[in-house]
Amino acid sequence: MDLELIVEPGRPCGTRHSRRLRAAGKVPGVVYGLGKDPVPVTVAWPELRRVLTTEAGQNALINLTVGEGESSLSIVKELQRHPVRREVLHVDFQLIDPNAPLAVEVPVVLVGRAEKVEQRKGIIDQLRHSIVVKAKPGNIPTQLDADVSGLEIGTAITVGDIVLPEGVTTDLDPETPVAQGSPTRSTILLDAQAARAQAASGTGGSAEGEATAAEPSGDAEAGGDD
Amino acid sequence: MLMPRKVRHRKTQRGRLKGQAKGGTSVTFGDYGIQALEPGWITARQIEAARVAMTRHIRRGGKVWINIFPDKPITAKPAETRMGSGKGNPEKWVAVVKPGRVMFELSYNDPAVARAAIERAIQKLPIKARFVAREEAL
Repeated sequence: MDLELIVEPGRPCGTRHSRRLRAAGKVPGVVYGLGKDPVPVTVAWPELRRVLTTEAGQNALINLTVGEGESSLSIVKELQRHPVRREVLHVDFQLIDPNAPLAVEVPVVLVGRAEKVEQRKGIIDQLRHSIVVKAKPGNIPTQLDADVSGLEIGTAITVGDIVLPEGVTTDLDPETPVAQGSPTRSTILLDAQAARAQAASGTGGSAEGEATAAEPSGDAEAGGDD
Repeated sequence: MLMPRKVRHRKTQRGRLKGQAKGGTSVTFGDYGIQALEPGWITARQIEAARVAMTRHIRRGGKVWINIFPDKPITAKPAETRMGSGKGNPEKWVAVVKPGRVMFELSYNDPAVARAAIERAIQKLPIKARFVAREEAL
């Protein structure tokens, strides 16, 4: 889907002017990229919101028209937000080459049910919520799925386990963990119960063993108590 | 309770709480968080009380992050002491918090339980704070 956005160039720079723009429902921004000089611009907030609330999120490809000029492909490189009110304070548009790969941050979504982790009452700890991928503008995925169905406690899903769509690569180390199965207090309790049960059955077994061979069975029992 | 292992200066001046948080204003590690809406000092006891309130509510299966650390010593003079004769003794440790700061984070499967746990933890804090989630609507 092509998203069209018109921005107005020639805004006065500085804190006071920017505040006045924000009060008037506009967002100050800047357009740069492809070796061109940066251009301070103004964009209407409802229009900016419209292009950023699509399925592609912040990685949406925007056909940006600066004033009366030609439209060129761009992405939102950075979005500054107020720490408390969360309003958008400033936006950076980067002009991009439609045929050159670019690096974008794509969210990672965990899919599937980690039954082995659930059985032992552990949790899935997501260590990375997004990864930086390189892709041509037309191939940028909206999200990356990480299948956690084979996850166990003590194991991890790594960047290498994520199936990247065709034309998408990443510079991250394939061994970088994305999600791991972590034990909880319940897991520790369960494991302790299992160990006790095993020790009890082991003691019974060694008692039988003592009847036949005295020395080795005594060592095994001591080991079980530890 | 949280406190520094070693400090360069045992006593510090009080300082001023101006402006808003410069960093740590979004949920980074977990799925939900507690964001400060006022400036203030959060004592180590209050941090611990909030943590306990949250972990007791979620019982098991979640994870809590504390993003603030009480590294500022606060002194106090003993009761019924005449003024003078120097600065009081260090009594407690506080974390300096400015509006916007995400102080705690939580990851939990059930959003309703996570919200309830965070509401309980907010009750333990001396400043206004709110529940925030990772996904931020524009």
